[in-house]
Amino acid sequence: MDLTILLFLVQDGITNGAIYALLGFALVLVFAVTRIIFIPQGEFVAYGALTYAMLQGGHVPGTAYLLPIFAFVALLFDLYAERSRITGTFLLRQGVEKIVVPLALLLAARELAGVSTIASLVLTVAIVSALGPHLYRIAFQPLADRSVLVLLIAAVGTHLALMGLGLVFFGAEGQKADALTDFSVDLGPLPVSGQNIAVYAATVLLIAGLYWFFERTVQGKALRATAVNRLGARLVGIRTKGTGKIALALAAGIGAVSGVLLAPMTTIYYDTGFVIGLKGFVAAIIGGLASYPLTAAAALAVGLIESFSSFFASDFKEVIVFTLLIPVLLVRSFASKHTDEED
Amino acid sequence: MSKPLLSLSNLSVSYGKVEAVRGVSLEVFAGEIVTVIGANGAGKSTLLNAAMGILPAVGEQTFDDAPFYRLEVEDRVAAGLSLVSERRELFSSMSVEDNLRLGAVRFSEREAQARMAGVFDRFPRLKERRRQEAGTMSGGERQMLAMGRALMAGPKVLMLDEPSLGLAPRIVADIFTIIEDLRKDGVAILLVEQNARAALNAADRAYVMELGEITMSGKAADLANDPQIERSYLGLH
Repeated sequence: MDLTILLFLVQDGITNGAIYALLGFALVLVFAVTRIIFIPQGEFVAYGALTYAMLQGGHVPGTAYLLPIFAFVALLFDLYAERSRITGTFLLRQGVEKIVVPLALLLAARELAGVSTIASLVLTVAIVSALGPHLYRIAFQPLADRSVLVLLIAAVGTHLALMGLGLVFFGAEGQKADALTDFSVDLGPLPVSGQNIAVYAATVLLIAGLYWFFERTVQGKALRATAVNRLGARLVGIRTKGTGKIALALAAGIGAVSGVLLAPMTTIYYDTGFVIGLKGFVAAIIGGLASYPLTAAAALAVGLIESFSSFFASDFKEVIVFTLLIPVLLVRSFASKHTDEED
Repeated sequence: MSKPLLSLSNLSVSYGKVEAVRGVSLEVFAGEIVTVIGANGAGKSTLLNAAMGILPAVGEQTFDDAPFYRLEVEDRVAAGLSLVSERRELFSSMSVEDNLRLGAVRFSEREAQARMAGVFDRFPRLKERRRQEAGTMSGGERQMLAMGRALMAGPKVLMLDEPSLGLAPRIVADIFTIIEDLRKDGVAILLVEQNARAALNAADRAYVMELGEITMSGKAADLANDPQIERSYLGLH
């Protein structure tokens, strides 16, 4: 192996690692706020990539139709749950959130498909992140107070459902998007593409954005507070149902961005997201589903190990990455004190 | 007297088949300190948790003349009821300032800062410790922070569950001074205490709770002199 190949592998590893880091963050975030081990994170990546590829190709993506359907089901849930105390402002808010916004996004997708890269990008993130809160309302909110295990089972069910819906709404064909830009620069022997730079920039920006959100805004602090002490959060008047929705909107948005970044680099199918999400999951587990910096470091390690193992033993690259979990879990289980689940 | 701010009537709370609170009726009027005394396990905390909407209860609940029964915890806070629970329920890994800021989560930054200044006047200790993590503070400081955080929401009625629990006598005295100051500033207090003597000294009216039921009620001063109360609740202190 010469230096050029080494650099290529490192670059490839860091690029993938950056995306795994984003997914790992989403998993840590969702777990901290809602206690859900969020298996369907990968589906958001696939939805993001496919939505972006279709918009870029001038087609209306399936998610644009899926969103109003999800929103409508969530609306029915809310109307039923609140049936005895429905007020005008409640109806107005529900109507805007669950009918007007989804239909507006559908209309925008029909009008703006294929118009420009920027429009496709913005629409993709908007549509996929909007799915998150409705998904929380339908699949998780009714179970919010149940144990981590029940939530995990619901998460697995949601993953299967979203994968099936992906097949219905996007079809079995894989899609690949055009690169965000043709720009490329040579660093010594190594060409660095605009796509690579976009991945690094997006990762850094998202991390900075998340940091700002959680450290500086009241909304972000309310999310952290919910994670630290759910009852305490309710006692000060934080709507913990709302924080679950925000967490899932953020997770879906992060998934969508990851999908947009991945779409030009590899062909994405309706079921590709799962394995990508699992690698973010490996990173999040190494971070104990709690530490953002540890998750980021672990994600880079996963990316690098994956790229080197695909060079030396490409048939085994997934095996090698997932086998990593075993020593990590062993060490963690010996290092951590046993604690019973709080509820 | 005018209408009560908080009124519970014929309230019952069950944990499965066990009825922890049975047919309790209780009122808190503006500007008064009301205390519920009773032995450990009498159902006092359960009563407060039900009034806050944390536990499902059967019976009538009104607040500020509006039915309260169906409201969620968050809406009860917005209506003007706050609870400082026995376990304080602070955000332990966050700073004192962040804990207080979240107490006024519904309000703008500006309004919250103004309220925080008010809380710092009342609890100068919290101002000194504003950057410290809540989990690293002493028991007394944590109790002050929990009270300060509840006050950030601007409650009309503040419910305090065992505020003196586990605190040194000097700090208990401080806490009771603050409770009386709060009443002067127009916050009605519903106080649950095992420290019956201190509670009866501070309160205007009192209820005695035994095995989930109210067995006596009246002016705090009268109850403090009642021989039966003295024997059951005051003798040991």
